[in-house]
Amino acid sequence: MNLAKLRSWLRLYGLLVRTTIRSRMQYKFNFVVGTLLAALVQISEFLMVAIVLDRFGAIRGWSVHEIGYLFAVMTLSKTIYRTFADEVHHLEKYLVGGELDQLLTRPMPVLLALMPQKFRLMPAELLQGGFILSWALGSMMRTGQVGWTAVIATLFIILTGAVILFSIGLATATLGFWTTRIVELQNITEDAARTAAQYPLTLYPKWMSSLLLFAIPVGFVNYMPSLYLLRGEVGPWVLAVTAGVAVICIFASLRFWRYGITKYQSTGS
Amino acid sequence: MMIEAHNLTKDFKTPVVREGRFSGLRTLFSREYRLKEAVRDISFQVERGEFVGYIGPNGAGKSTTIKMLTGILHPTSGEVRVGGVNPHRDRRQAVRQLGVVFGQRSQLWWDLPVKDSYDILAEMYGVSGAEKTQRLDQFAELLDLREFWLTPVRKLSLGQRMRADIAAAMLHDPDLLFLDEPTIGLDVHAKRNIRQFLSQLNRDFGKTILLTTHDMDDIEQLCSRVMVIDQGQLTYDGTIPTLREQIGLPTEIRVKFRGPFRVPEETEVERLPYRVTGIEDDTVVVEANRHEIGTMEIIRALSEWGDIDDVDMAEPAFEEVIRSFSAS
Repeated sequence: MNLAKLRSWLRLYGLLVRTTIRSRMQYKFNFVVGTLLAALVQISEFLMVAIVLDRFGAIRGWSVHEIGYLFAVMTLSKTIYRTFADEVHHLEKYLVGGELDQLLTRPMPVLLALMPQKFRLMPAELLQGGFILSWALGSMMRTGQVGWTAVIATLFIILTGAVILFSIGLATATLGFWTTRIVELQNITEDAARTAAQYPLTLYPKWMSSLLLFAIPVGFVNYMPSLYLLRGEVGPWVLAVTAGVAVICIFASLRFWRYGITKYQSTGS
Repeated sequence: MMIEAHNLTKDFKTPVVREGRFSGLRTLFSREYRLKEAVRDISFQVERGEFVGYIGPNGAGKSTTIKMLTGILHPTSGEVRVGGVNPHRDRRQAVRQLGVVFGQRSQLWWDLPVKDSYDILAEMYGVSGAEKTQRLDQFAELLDLREFWLTPVRKLSLGQRMRADIAAAMLHDPDLLFLDEPTIGLDVHAKRNIRQFLSQLNRDFGKTILLTTHDMDDIEQLCSRVMVIDQGQLTYDGTIPTLREQIGLPTEIRVKFRGPFRVPEETEVERLPYRVTGIEDDTVVVEANRHEIGTMEIIRALSEWGDIDDVDMAEPAFEEVIRSFSAS
């Protein structure tokens, strides 16, 4: 793929996103209520975590701040994934209604046509994640547990984490080309796995932590890099491995997606 | 050659849906499938400049064929070329040279003014500003687009939306246009408008067009060639006169007379385009070919035979005609 083509696709993507936002603004009330509701959900989720942390303090040798860090990184990675690719998560709608037909007749990659169908601004999630992350990192820097470089490394792992979550979401959605319905699968591969990885994986039995590292690699979003970044365990190579996992995940899921599309069944008209 | 379809077959394999808890998951791992052969071993070629009607009963495989030709569905076996390109291997390249209109669904951006959709599509297909303006001026003229230029698509009437959609499909000036039920649900006026435009595209601009329809008039007025599909198989491929000869489209008219009536002699009836097929008590049954004589003309002629009390007409349903045709 050459650079000119990439640039023209990015421009097209930008145009489609602007179009979507303009369409959405026709329903301002809907947008405002949706954002407020999301904020409410985020606040209650945060309170839940806060209560758990306050009650139990350290879990299996992980301090309150470290757990807050795991939680925040996961939230922010998910926020990036869902801001740009919410429609990948909601592919079922397109499969059931046959709306993928239109996207397939456009002279651009299907994903590039699908993703800008919705651009979800998620201010509530962003604020919540950002707040907990600042608190956690700030406290750890004051105690000298981590240095300034941790901030840059954190931004990096939030991005690789977003890529990993996107890949998991894309691979799960692709299964919909065979099953049409995917919500229940997503409950497992996306929601349950992500929720589990908000806590240190040492909490879980061996088989489960292996599952969360090697089958559905959510452990690489926050847990594995944190081992090195926060606790100096393993070694700096863990960051390279994390990036490698992200690259492998995205390539594999894109390949799977391209194969899945050939199995698309559309709907009777 | 604009379209080449070689031995196209499409099977739909739907997993049997499980009931109850975790139905989605159990469906995923289930080995039970329902197999539906939507299209079976279809081959045909369409030359540049042809106007082809693709007809058949509901569920016969019309839409499935169109979706395979446009690269939306991948055939189970067989191969497609549109404008020399395989839409399943090089989808992006293939769709650049074709326009697609689905009667039931819009390509346009639902919440935006019609005009904005054209701007986006122009950008998507790399149509320059000058070309866009020139083509849209032309389409606006021919399709009366200006009256709803700034209206959001969701507020358009069905007829307006269809006009807007056809213009959208032609904006990048493709050589080949596919239309799936473009006149479905439209009133007479809107149908006429759209037929005129399509016929112009074909005649004046040399566009190759393939459309599916349930409206026999679409076929009669537009197509130089008809293909009939039934239960996934091509049962006819040829010209309209030949098809008409084979189908005949006979209408049965039962006329009940009040009081005495006189049926003319055979020799007198011979030159008229209808046949007396039965006389029972006070009722005469006449069969006529609707393409040769209007219903009112028949009734006018019959009223000369006596005092008409009641008229009962049985139109042959299009679907039935096609069915009986395929069976024979």
